[in-house]
Amino acid sequence: MIKNQKAKLERQYATLGMMLIAPTVLVFCAVIVYPLVSAIYLSLFDIYTPTLQGEWVGLDNYRELLGKGEFWTSLRNNIIWTVGTLSLQILFGIGMALVLHQNIWFRSLARSLILFPYFVSTVVAVLVWRWLFNDLYGILNHLMMAAGLIDMPIDYLGSMPNAMISVILVGAWKYFPFVVIAVLARLQTIPDALYEAARIDGAGPVARFFDITLPQLRDVLVVIIMLRAIWDFKEFDLIFLLTGGGPVTSTQTLPLLVYKEAFSLNHMGMAAAYAVTMMAVMLVFMIVYIRKTREKEA
Amino acid sequence: MSNSGNGIFNVTRRGAIKGLAASTLLSTLPVRAWAEDVTLRWWSPQGSPDQVAAYKFQIEQFEAMHPGVKVVFETTSDEGYAPQLAAAFSSGEVPDVVTHLPSFSVASYYANGLVEPFDDVIEAIGASDYYPGANDVFKAADGKYFGTGIGNTAANMLWLRKDLMQAAGVDKAPETWDELRAACQAMQGGGVYGAPLPYGRNSMTSLIFIGVIHQAGGQVFTPDLEVDIDSEATRAALDFYGSMRELCPPGATNYSWGESLTAFVSGASATGIYAGRVLANVNAQNPDIADSVTCATYPRISTDVAPWTFNDFPSVFIPAQSKNKDAAKMFAAFLFNPEGYIKQLHAAPGHVLPVLKSISTNPMYLDNPIIKKYEAEVDLMASASAGGYNLGYESSAHKSNEKGGEVVGSGVIADLVQRVVLNGENVDTVLSETSQSIEAIMKG
Repeated sequence: MIKNQKAKLERQYATLGMMLIAPTVLVFCAVIVYPLVSAIYLSLFDIYTPTLQGEWVGLDNYRELLGKGEFWTSLRNNIIWTVGTLSLQILFGIGMALVLHQNIWFRSLARSLILFPYFVSTVVAVLVWRWLFNDLYGILNHLMMAAGLIDMPIDYLGSMPNAMISVILVGAWKYFPFVVIAVLARLQTIPDALYEAARIDGAGPVARFFDITLPQLRDVLVVIIMLRAIWDFKEFDLIFLLTGGGPVTSTQTLPLLVYKEAFSLNHMGMAAAYAVTMMAVMLVFMIVYIRKTREKEA
Repeated sequence: MSNSGNGIFNVTRRGAIKGLAASTLLSTLPVRAWAEDVTLRWWSPQGSPDQVAAYKFQIEQFEAMHPGVKVVFETTSDEGYAPQLAAAFSSGEVPDVVTHLPSFSVASYYANGLVEPFDDVIEAIGASDYYPGANDVFKAADGKYFGTGIGNTAANMLWLRKDLMQAAGVDKAPETWDELRAACQAMQGGGVYGAPLPYGRNSMTSLIFIGVIHQAGGQVFTPDLEVDIDSEATRAALDFYGSMRELCPPGATNYSWGESLTAFVSGASATGIYAGRVLANVNAQNPDIADSVTCATYPRISTDVAPWTFNDFPSVFIPAQSKNKDAAKMFAAFLFNPEGYIKQLHAAPGHVLPVLKSISTNPMYLDNPIIKKYEAEVDLMASASAGGYNLGYESSAHKSNEKGGEVVGSGVIADLVQRVVLNGENVDTVLSETSQSIEAIMKG
């Protein structure tokens, strides 16, 4: 009798658990699983974008994709962009967080202002930067010419390597506040006693940074790097609006290639194949990254 | 002009005929269709404040004439209309009327069954009132029209500063490339560049360079739509375009319509290449040079080659999936009602030019300060654009090219310019690869 009651109670708990988790699972399926399966499904067809009608082609899209030089060029650009801007985001982010962690008189104001690049719309940010970079009336060129550093305006967005450097810098400016926020939060939880002990032992500021601050930040940085790497890898609008992928295809990344296939060429199936390939690349990165960070922990 | 004079001119034979045609069209509609309220959605990438005000005027007039019909105007964007329309078509939530998209884009949609035939609307507007050949670009392979022009745009006019020409000893508007280079070189200096040609990876570079190919006596496709871009004419065009690079601002490698226009309007460039919006912008933003501005058709490799004006033929069309086709056709025809149409044209004087002969000679249309001041320039642009072409219709001998929009959108022609002119790649290799890319697009 008691056993039956326990069994019944366990079943009720199990049922309640399923009911409570069901909304989350349903949302997850609707938002993640369905689009993913749909994308994979679309990638097996040759589909005209406006009508979404087409014919089965199996893996032909992937064979064609891998055989295109443009894919490999865009992948290389994607990696350069991601590594470049992520590196700068981390450097600027940690540096700014350390500054804001100090007890300076304008700290509260600075902490508020530092969020501005992150919150401003990408479209607005790009318009501002395009104005800054403009050859005829951009302030950067005017200042540099006035200071005698250059004789002629610099072409920031239309020649290489200027274009890639420019988009990397703008991307770093746009997204480094995220790193600042996360690192600053972690800095505030590092026990002061560790620094006191280090000072007593004669450690200088550089040693304190590498021996105390950086190890303490490691967990946060691991997460930040993974998140920012994923987000930067799939960044579309900032690059598209700044350079359109030019000059030629020098700053064209895979997301821009997806857009081109989907809406300029009306090849939705091929675009889906590119998107699935992007996901595969990011998945490989995540797996390798997580394994390495775990190995390091061990 | 006195009020009574305006009254007389407002009641024109053309207006009466259009009214009769509209009434006839209305009378053919099922009664039930008008027993229910109808909302029409109007999309257009043209959205300057003056233009939107003109559109609202047209909407108010139409709604007053047709109680129960409501029209909502929604702007799109020149570069972003493709994904917006793709989403609309695939979801079935299409607008009822779309205007100002280039004709070659509409051709592609029509070929895929997404656009309603437009023949009856053209008849309602008055087919005989159009400039000769004005609708040829809108004729599909099946012989039907997939749209009509809301106006004409002469998008690659050569804009000139008479004051700088005089100071530099340039005695006439350049007609050949050699003359253009010489003029630009003479006028360049003191912070002023010779020309603001686009070298960016965008649609402007593609569209302008297609014109340059024709100005060299070449073509992208044969009349039967075989790829013909790998030619001596294209090589000559690339040589010319490359030789102009040193006469353009450094940032021209990323120029599109806005930057190129601003370069001329601001006075930073001695010449310009754009449509009639230059006139209004110069008068509003840089009036000091307003009296010196004039235009000509863009120079060619030699005077043996006829001028080739790029007209993107800003269109009117009706999506086939519209649930209010009859009302949409009524509204589309109404867009050409003289009072509203002229107001719309005046919102961008000289930029969007009339496609109807009766409008061009209408005193109301001519009674605009910009059009009055630049009468010769507007007339030139009107005639040039009326005889203009684009990649969907490269010459009067060419078939309608439903893939024109995809060729432009793919960036393959802009890439050609950048690779040869900016990167210095081998022209034979690049042209061969460009031909293959275009052929792949044509095969779909």
